[in-house]
Amino acid sequence: MKAPKVLGAAAITAGLLLLALPCFAHHSFAAEFDANNCREFTGILTKIDWQNPHGYFYLDIKDSGGKVESWSFQTYALITLKRAGVDRQFFVDNIGKEIWVKGCLAKNGRTNYAAAGLLKAPDGVLRQMGQLQDER
Amino acid sequence: MKLLRYDVACTAVLMLFFILPLPTDAQTTEQYTIKVMPPGGPTPRLADGHPDLSGLWLPNSAGQGVSGRYGVDPAARRQFDPKMTPEEPPSFQSWAAAKIKAMTPTELELSKSSVNCMPRGVPAIWLQNPYGTMLVHKPGIFVQLFEVLNNFRVIPTDGSPHAKYPEPLFHGDSVGRWAGDTLVDDGISFDERTFIMPNGWFHSDELHVIERYSRPSMNYLIVQITVDDPKVLTKPWTSAPRRWTLANDKINEFYCTNNHELEELEKLKGLESQGK
Repeated sequence: MKAPKVLGAAAITAGLLLLALPCFAHHSFAAEFDANNCREFTGILTKIDWQNPHGYFYLDIKDSGGKVESWSFQTYALITLKRAGVDRQFFVDNIGKEIWVKGCLAKNGRTNYAAAGLLKAPDGVLRQMGQLQDER
Repeated sequence: MKLLRYDVACTAVLMLFFILPLPTDAQTTEQYTIKVMPPGGPTPRLADGHPDLSGLWLPNSAGQGVSGRYGVDPAARRQFDPKMTPEEPPSFQSWAAAKIKAMTPTELELSKSSVNCMPRGVPAIWLQNPYGTMLVHKPGIFVQLFEVLNNFRVIPTDGSPHAKYPEPLFHGDSVGRWAGDTLVDDGISFDERTFIMPNGWFHSDELHVIERYSRPSMNYLIVQITVDDPKVLTKPWTSAPRRWTLANDKINEFYCTNNHELEELEKLKGLESQGK
């Protein structure tokens, strides 16, 4: 009788987990970005697109050969950023400054494009920019 | 009448249960800077004596944003504790389960309103919405203003019947009535392009949704959804009573105008279909 009880409990737990996951997930960044292909970036902030469903900011980043390329980084939805204390003015104030980002690359191979997970501006505060760091 | 008795009983149980904050580990709670919001004062009332559900509500137990922040008590992130109020998974008919299972991860992602910017619809807008909702409540009328995609609903609570010839709508045709201190919305006639949950759970034209709203205290709104869909499910499904908390915040605009995800995921789907 013990085995069916254990199996039953396992089935209920699995069902609850399956159902609970989408309750809290907005959508999965990991569907579009590769959580196993993440890296750190450092570059100069050049622009912010403050639009929904996601913000995008742009960094000029030097590659290993010294060539500068523009990269775009996806953020949380603007409402989420704002409720986490990151507003548009934060990006405006940091344009032209050096920014550190940890982000993950797109699964479809699009170049110079990543989802931002963490960001550090010259003030040294580590800010969450997206879900990737939550999912790892 | 059977539904009415159920609602009155549910209201009584929920009033007792949700007036208390979700339990947390006392030894670890102190380390968090964002905690479970206390219940607050008594339930505010409308001029007609019914609970006033007005306020800006967030889908968590913190009364403030929790995503993208450090120091959040896990209990403050959630709307219910599955150990205390477990939710059964939906019971799909075999053909429906097979249809969902056949979706690839990318197809599943493309179906999500958070990706394709289609309206979430009812009841998804209460089940899969991470943003705030402002409720404006007057005797006879219940207005829901959603941040997400700037959607809105106006639900009569004055005894109005369903439309004689209801059209399929993303938010359906809903009418509200009071069962004790619970406002019960009855919804029919839903657009079939929406999903109940962002896990492929689609619905048919026979979807019937019951939404139960209660406010056991100043800071807590409890929303419980029942989904009846005899073409897709083998039996009705009822959500856990989910807690929304009152936020001292403004409602935000959210027009989906710069959506890169659809294009990027379509490219990924194309690569997947080529076996790359």
